[in-house]
Amino acid sequence: MSEYILELKDIRKGFFGVEVLHGVNLQFRPGEVYGLVGENGAGKSTMMNIIGGVFPADGGEMLLNGKPYAPQTPRDAKNARIAFIHQELNLFSNLSVAENLFIDELPRNKAGLVDYRYMRSEAGKRLKELGLEISPRAMVSDLPMGVRQTVEIAKALLMDAQIILFDEPTTSLSQKEKEYLFNTIRALKQKGVAIVYISHILEDVFELCDEVAVLRDGAIIGKRLKAELNNDDIVSMMVGRKLENAYPVVEKSIGEVMFTARNVVAQGVKGCSLELRHGEVLGIFGLMGAGRTEFVRALYGLDPMVSGEITINGKTISKPNPKLCIDEGMAFISEDRRGEGLLMPKPVEDNLILVKLDDIAGRFGKIPEKKVDELTNHSIGDLSIKVSDKRLQLATNLSGGNQQKVVVGKWLMKTPKMLIMDEPTRGVDVGAKYEIYSLILDLAKNGSGVLCISSEMEELIGICDRILVMANGRITGEVEMKDFNQKRIMEYALQGGEENGEEH
Amino acid sequence: MSNKSNYEKNLRSIKLKRFLSDNAILVIWVIFFAYSLIFVEGFASAYNIKNYLGNCAPLLVVAAGLTIVTLNGGIDFSTTSVISLVSTISAYILMSTPLVDTVWGIIVAILASFAIGALVGSINGLAVAKLKMPSFVATLSSKLIFSGVAVWFGSVYYDKTSLSISAKGFTAIGGKGGPFWIPLVLAALVFLIVDFMLSKTLFGRRVYAIGVNPNAAKVSGMPVRKTIFMEFLISGLLASFAGIMYTAKNRAGITTMGDEMFINIVGAVVIGGTSPAGGFGSMKKTLYGVLFLSLLSTMLNLLGVPYTLYDVVKGVFVLIAAGLELVTREMNVRAAAKAAKM
Repeated sequence: MSEYILELKDIRKGFFGVEVLHGVNLQFRPGEVYGLVGENGAGKSTMMNIIGGVFPADGGEMLLNGKPYAPQTPRDAKNARIAFIHQELNLFSNLSVAENLFIDELPRNKAGLVDYRYMRSEAGKRLKELGLEISPRAMVSDLPMGVRQTVEIAKALLMDAQIILFDEPTTSLSQKEKEYLFNTIRALKQKGVAIVYISHILEDVFELCDEVAVLRDGAIIGKRLKAELNNDDIVSMMVGRKLENAYPVVEKSIGEVMFTARNVVAQGVKGCSLELRHGEVLGIFGLMGAGRTEFVRALYGLDPMVSGEITINGKTISKPNPKLCIDEGMAFISEDRRGEGLLMPKPVEDNLILVKLDDIAGRFGKIPEKKVDELTNHSIGDLSIKVSDKRLQLATNLSGGNQQKVVVGKWLMKTPKMLIMDEPTRGVDVGAKYEIYSLILDLAKNGSGVLCISSEMEELIGICDRILVMANGRITGEVEMKDFNQKRIMEYALQGGEENGEEH
Repeated sequence: MSNKSNYEKNLRSIKLKRFLSDNAILVIWVIFFAYSLIFVEGFASAYNIKNYLGNCAPLLVVAAGLTIVTLNGGIDFSTTSVISLVSTISAYILMSTPLVDTVWGIIVAILASFAIGALVGSINGLAVAKLKMPSFVATLSSKLIFSGVAVWFGSVYYDKTSLSISAKGFTAIGGKGGPFWIPLVLAALVFLIVDFMLSKTLFGRRVYAIGVNPNAAKVSGMPVRKTIFMEFLISGLLASFAGIMYTAKNRAGITTMGDEMFINIVGAVVIGGTSPAGGFGSMKKTLYGVLFLSLLSTMLNLLGVPYTLYDVVKGVFVLIAAGLELVTREMNVRAAAKAAKM
């Protein structure tokens, strides 16, 4: 027996004759956490999918506990006690926790019906054993994201997994939920489970992992043990160049006020005001539940504005709706790319042209195909979106970074006067992040105002001219660029409890 | 690593597969049609072919409306009730009012028919777009109400369940008492207009976008509710147009005319390959579905299969087609995923 629980030897995989994994060698020991980092499209998911049995490798071999392991289906992986926790959770939100835990093999009673009583008591018992205080009767749809993740992990534990693969597990978790997840992972490690942890968030990887491997263009570029970890080193390995600066520097000037919001009240927003100037990038920071997203959604009219008003280009609107806002030159990039940003099963071209359609429609609403072709080609070139055939390739086939570029691209086609972005770089790799920041800053340079929400404070400090801080539905502070200071911003963000009526 | 020509070969094979999956039912239609021409007695006659095309024409018109609604992931059960009510009312106007045997009678009958379609379509549209009712419930209710109205009207104003129409100017719309090609031209016009709307215009782009993801459409500033309302309005209007054609073709107002038609209308759309889940399909597909389903009826008839078994056979084909649609879409997604990795 070897000391490794799983060994990958010269794993190769190609799609359509193009190799995307060029002979990957990796070894995992039980009771250790392995970080796997790399830009989107580096081949991380392909590798995970091979281990998880989603599709087979073209070449090379895998050894599980020293024996050949060649899963053909996810079930094979499951039988080999390998669990795969996907970025998008695979729970049935319309079912209870107990049903989700036993979904693969629902217990039956003598009559052949599902034995709910046994299932619930068994689920309750197992959850308790795992130290989880979740009712087996709870509907998954009622649970916060963090708890859902725990249920997914519980599922892996119920099958007594010896290896658990995590793909970007923290994207939708709050800080507290994240800490909880990390503690769970550490406990799993104690029990001798091997963990593979994929993430874009290097801090987390550094905190958790015993060893980190960097994947670039389908090959392992380097491995580092915990003691040797160094942020710059890893990042430069990931992107293949020395990253001088994570944020682009763009010279721009800030002009007159172009947009104001006055005393906006909406679900979760208790009277917020702001002013945005031409050429300005204004950030809104806040912890989970501070009301940032709700605030900007109300500004754009996606959710109803109970009271208050906005003024854009001198025009005052008290009941905004997306159409009205777009007509005034606004653009909105939702935090929910799949749900509100893209037509996932439609081609890239259809997605890119979506908001420009109104402008190019001719008589009888006829869409000039040639114009569509030109505009989308332009956009793909300008934003360097990686797509081989824009009419054949669907949005769902793109990597996270490229998907986000498509969303940005569709709005840039209208050269918006004002851009609202909610978590513009969530699930986007380092390289594409930089490109997206450049696009935002160039837009501002040309005189547009940008309102940017992020839960990554560093990101806001990197690109904003001014940052507003929200807590508990109110604006609790404002910080100018010269005073940017993480500690101060966090203090404002934690002020939720007090009444702090005066905004700027 | 592969070379450029290999890549292009792969791309071609993806495109060929996609063409075949998009046009599968057309290919099957050609095979069935050729088979009928050669082997089915009585098929290859001018009378029969005219009859066949005459059956396709009104079905294509009503299925065109349902195609638009289906592309949005909705359903419109009320089309059959519009056909029944249009038939009942238009025959009454033509035969039992002072307008009998006048051109005005024909004009009023046609206008009244379209008004019925517009009314039912608007009610459906408001219920779905404004009140956010599922189209299943909204149109099922309006179907019950308006087919009920048709039967009631007949029971009060007809002495039978049908009323013969003698106005030649009207029956010509259905190809009776005039050139047989009139309904074909009308159906062709409807086809061309709806196909243009769906594939070439802003409205069509909106229908597809909303059918795939109404939230993304809303964020992108599309008038989601207005578009949904328009879809049902158009479906109602086209159903009333088809109602006029059926009534003219049968030379009679029949209070239950639409009752048996639902399997044909939905069947044509689904067999053609428009996804009941919304977002995928086209008017061309519905044309193929109409051609195929009507051909099936004609063949069954000529082969002497008992009428009572028609629905069984059609049902089987709808099932096969719906299954095929799912499989080919899955194939397309996979092919695109492969293309993405190239």
